[in-house]
Amino acid sequence: MTRPGMRTATRMGLVIALAAAGGSAKTHFLLIEGLGGTPKFADRFRAQVETMLPSMRRTAGEDAKAIVVAGMEATGERIGAAFVELAAAVGPGDDLAVILVGHGTHDGDSYKLNVPGPDVTGKQLARWLDSVPAARQLVVNTTSASGGTLETLTSPRRIVITATKNGRERTATVFGSYWAEALGAQEADTDKNESVSALEAFRYAEAKVKAHFEERKGLATEHPVLQGERAESFLLARLGAAAALADDPAKRELLVAREDLERRVAELSLRKDELSSEEYLDTLQELLLRIAEIQERIDAGSREDSEERP
Amino acid sequence: MTRSRSAALCLGLLLPLAIPAAAQRGVEKGHRDPALEPCDIHHDRGRVIEAASCYRSLLGDQSLATQAEAHWMLGDLKAANDRFREAVRLEPENPDLRVRWGYLYIESHNEAEGAQLFQEALELDDRHVPARLGMARALGARFEGKALETVREALEDKSDQAEGHLLLGRMALEEGDLETARNSLETALAKSEALGIAPLEAYALLAVLGMLEGEPDNEWVDRALQFNPRYGQVYAEQAHFYVITRRYREATERLRKAIGVAPSLWRAHAELGVNLMREGHDQEGRQHLEIAYEGDPYSAKTVNTLRLLDKYDEFETFASGQSGEQAHPRVIVRLPRKEAALLRPYVTELTERAIETFERKYAFRLQQPVRVELYDNHDDFAVRTMAMPGIGLLGVTFGYVVAMDSPSGRRPGEFHWGTTLWHELAHVFTLESTNHLVPRWYSEGISMYEEWEADPRWGEAVTPEFIDAVQNEKLLPVEELDRGFIRPRYPGQVAISYMQAGYACRFVAERWGFEKHVELLRGFADGRSTASNLRSVLEIEPTDFDTDFDVFMRAELGPALEGLGRWRRHLKKALEAAREEDWDAVLEPARAAKEAYPQFIGPGSSYSLLATALDQAGNRAAAIAELREYERRGGRAPETLQRLAGWLEEAGQPEAAIGVYEGLLYNWPQDEKTHRRLGNLLLAAGDTQQALREFSAVVDLDPLDRAGAEYDLARAYVKIGNLAKARVHVLQALERAPTFRPALNLLRQVKR
Repeated sequence: MTRPGMRTATRMGLVIALAAAGGSAKTHFLLIEGLGGTPKFADRFRAQVETMLPSMRRTAGEDAKAIVVAGMEATGERIGAAFVELAAAVGPGDDLAVILVGHGTHDGDSYKLNVPGPDVTGKQLARWLDSVPAARQLVVNTTSASGGTLETLTSPRRIVITATKNGRERTATVFGSYWAEALGAQEADTDKNESVSALEAFRYAEAKVKAHFEERKGLATEHPVLQGERAESFLLARLGAAAALADDPAKRELLVAREDLERRVAELSLRKDELSSEEYLDTLQELLLRIAEIQERIDAGSREDSEERP
Repeated sequence: MTRSRSAALCLGLLLPLAIPAAAQRGVEKGHRDPALEPCDIHHDRGRVIEAASCYRSLLGDQSLATQAEAHWMLGDLKAANDRFREAVRLEPENPDLRVRWGYLYIESHNEAEGAQLFQEALELDDRHVPARLGMARALGARFEGKALETVREALEDKSDQAEGHLLLGRMALEEGDLETARNSLETALAKSEALGIAPLEAYALLAVLGMLEGEPDNEWVDRALQFNPRYGQVYAEQAHFYVITRRYREATERLRKAIGVAPSLWRAHAELGVNLMREGHDQEGRQHLEIAYEGDPYSAKTVNTLRLLDKYDEFETFASGQSGEQAHPRVIVRLPRKEAALLRPYVTELTERAIETFERKYAFRLQQPVRVELYDNHDDFAVRTMAMPGIGLLGVTFGYVVAMDSPSGRRPGEFHWGTTLWHELAHVFTLESTNHLVPRWYSEGISMYEEWEADPRWGEAVTPEFIDAVQNEKLLPVEELDRGFIRPRYPGQVAISYMQAGYACRFVAERWGFEKHVELLRGFADGRSTASNLRSVLEIEPTDFDTDFDVFMRAELGPALEGLGRWRRHLKKALEAAREEDWDAVLEPARAAKEAYPQFIGPGSSYSLLATALDQAGNRAAAIAELREYERRGGRAPETLQRLAGWLEEAGQPEAAIGVYEGLLYNWPQDEKTHRRLGNLLLAAGDTQQALREFSAVVDLDPLDRAGAEYDLARAYVKIGNLAKARVHVLQALERAPTFRPALNLLRQVKR
C-alpha cells in the first residue's frame, strides 16, 4: 500500500490535474450501484449515485464514457457488458474510474458485490478491469467488506480505494456518502485548483469517516484504504471555472507555463530542509509571484477581489 | 470466577514479616481456626517476629483454611488465595470459608470480588451474619447507600457483636454525624473488650472522631499505639477521613506519621503518593507509590497512578499570568500534547478570568498558582480522581489543583468544559479560603451558583428528577445535605443534592445578599458547622431555612412544578408529528410543552422543535427567537447552536452570531467550522486579536483545508499591520495551493 507524503502528493496533484485538463487524455467512468436490500439502504445508495453523476459526466465530457449500471439492472451480465463497451472505447492513454456502491461481503476467501442474480466476485471484477486498456485505472469500492478486494485488484497501473481495511469489516459503510460528497465539495479541493483528485477525495472522505465515529465515540467499523501510486494526479471532478478553462484552447499555453511553475514550487518544497528559512521563502515568493502574473492573464479580467475568500 | 480471581492475585510474593494485614480476629468476620488465635494476639500487639514465627508454624496445618489464613498473615496472598479456592472446592456448602475468602479480596483491594463471595455465602445461608457484615463492609467501601441497611439487618440478627457497630460508626463519621458515630463506636469498643477482640479499629475510629472534633492527636491515638506500637493504621484512618473531607494537607501529615510508625504500611505509602500528587508534588508522590508497589503489587490504585505518572510525558505544561510584581505564575496548565496548542489560550484565559472574578467576589487572594489539568482519556482522569466518595464525573478540585476531562474525551455537546472549569475553580476558593473546612454541600452549592452567575447559558438546567424531588419533598434538610453527596439513599440523589445546594446558595444571595456568602465562608473557616453558621450569619434556624427554601424553590420552578405530566404528553405528540415531518402539527403541542416545563433544554426540546416548525412555516425571525431562548437557558446541542449562528449571520446579526459561536467554544472547541466562522465575523467586526486566536485554532486543528486556514491567518495579520507574519502565512498557504487566487493577490500586497 502506498500513501504518498502530503508535500509531494499536493504538488504533483496540481500539476497532473492540469495536464489532464489541458491534454488529450480522457477520463472514463463506470458507476455500479448494487442492491440496497432495504429501502433505507436503497435510498442511501441511490442518493450517492445521484450526487456523483453530474460531476462524473462533467469530467468525462462528451468524448469519454460515463456509464451507470444501477438497481435491478445491475446484474453481473450487464456489468460485464459495460466493461466490454469500455474496453472498446478507452484508449491506451486514457484513464478509467470504476466506482462501486452497495453492499459487499467477504467469506474469508473471496469478496462479492451484492447485485441482482449471481453476485459479482472480486476476481470477476479484476478480469473485467484487466480487459480495459487504460493507462491508469481507479477503483473506488465503497461497500462493506470492500477491503477484501485490495489484494485481488492489485495492479501496477491501478489505484484501489476501499471503505474498509479488509474483508472482515462487514458493517454497512458511511464512506460512500462522504466520497460522493467530496466530488462536489470545495472543502475537498485542498490545493485550490478547482479540481478534486482521487487523493483529495480520499482524504476528505477518510477525515469525515474518522470524525463520524469520533463524534459518536463509537468503535470505528470501517477504516478506508488507498492503495497504488499517484492518486494525487487522478482527476475526478472539476469545480467551477476549471471545467470551462479546460475547454479553452486559447488558455492552453498559459496553463502549461503555470504548470511548469507549479512543478518548480513542488520541487522547491521537497528541498525545503536544505535551505535556510529566508532562502526558501524568498525563492517560493518569486515563483508564486510569477504564477500570480500568469493567473491574472488566465483569468483575463475576471480576477476576484483580493481581500475576500471565494 | 476462579480465573478472574487468579488473575487478580497473579503475583505470588513472599512479603517481609511486617505485612500489616488488618486484624482478622472475631467470629463476626467468619469462623477461623482457634489455632490461629495465639498468632493473632502477637500480630494485634505488633510483635511481628513472634507473629510470623507462629503463623509459619501453621503453614503445614491439616486444614487448608488454616494454611490460607497463615499465608495471608505472612503476606503471601497468592498462596492464601490458592488454599481458599481449594478449601471451597472441597467444602462448597461452607459459608464461612467464602466469607474468609471474601475478606482476603477486601484486603487485596478488590471489593467487588469480595462482595461476590459474601453474596455466595448469603446464597448458602441468607441469615449468615458474618456474610452480611462482609457485604456491608464491601458496600461501605464503595459509599453505597445499601451498606447501612445491610449492617442494620445484621445487628438485628445479632446485636452482641463489635463489627456491626464499628461499621455503623464508620459510616456515621463519613456522613459527619458525630453523635451517632460516638455512640456506635463506644458500643463497639465495649463489645470488643467484652468479646476479647483487639480494639484497634475502635480506637482508630474514635481517634478519627476526636480529629473531626478538632483534636487530631488525641487519647485514642495514644491508646492504639500503646496497644500496638506499630499500628500506623490509626493515622491512616485519620488521613482517609481528611481526604474524604478534602483536607489534603492534613491527610499528608497524618500519612507521614503512619509510615513513620509502620514503614511497611503499603496502603499508607500509596495514599501518601496519591495525596502528594493532589497537592501537585508529583515527584515525591511517585517515590511513595513506588515503595507501595514494591510492597503491595496488588493495588490497582498504585499501579494505575504510576502508569499515569509515566503518561505525563505525553502532556505539556504551561505557566502564565504574573502575580503582581512577583515573577510567579498564577496559572499552570497541563494539557495533552496533541491538543495543547488548541486548548491553551482558552483554558488559560478562562482560568485567569475566574481567578480575577472570585478573588474580587470572595475577598480572598490565592496563595499559590492554580494548576489545571485536562485529560483527553477519561480513564486517566478517573485514575487521577479515584477514591473520592460521590465524585462527579466531570472534574475535581484538590485545593490548588484542578483535574478534569478534556472536551475531546467526550462526544460533542455532551461536556461543557467551560462551565466545568468554572465550577472547579470556584471550589479552589471555597476550599482554600476556609482551609478546606467548608462542608461539601456549601462548596458544591457555591460552584453551581457561580456557574449560573458566570453566564446564563452555563451550569446545569433543572431536570425532571429534581422537580420530582421538590414536589415529593425528597430534598434533604440543609444540615444533612452532605449526606446526599456521600452515601445517596436513592438513585440520582447525588445530582439532586448538587442542584439543591446550588439553589440554596442562590436563595442566600437573593434573600440576604451576596456578601453573606463571604461571611458564611469566614464562619466555616472558623470551624462553624452549617447550623451554627446559618444561625450566626443569616440569623435563621436551619429548620426555618429549610421551610423558606422550599417556598423559594417552588416559586423558582414555577409552572414546571405541576407541569411534568402535561409536558410529557405534549412533547410526545410534538415529537410524533416531527417524525412525520408534519411541522404545522408540531407547533401547538410544542408550545404547550414549553409552557409546561420551560427549563427543559435536553434532547428533543420544545425549542428545537418549534424552531424547525416555525422556519418551515417561513417565520425565520420567530425560529431564531426560539433558539435564542434555548441557548439562553443552557441548550448545548452543537448542531442546534450552529444552526442558530448561521441563521443570525443570514439575518444580518453578526454580533449575536459571534456570541453564539463564542459560547460554542466552551462546549465543543474541536470544531473547525466554529473557529473559522467566528474568526471571519470577528475580523469583519474589527476584533482582529480575537480573530487571530480563532484562525490559529483552525490551523492547530490541522484541517483538510490547511491552505485556507493559513490564508485566513495571513489576512488577520495584514489587518493588524504585521506584514512579515502575513507574508509567512500566505506563503505557507500557497505552498500547499499555488494557484489559490485570493492568496496570490494577498501575496502581492505583503511581498518583501
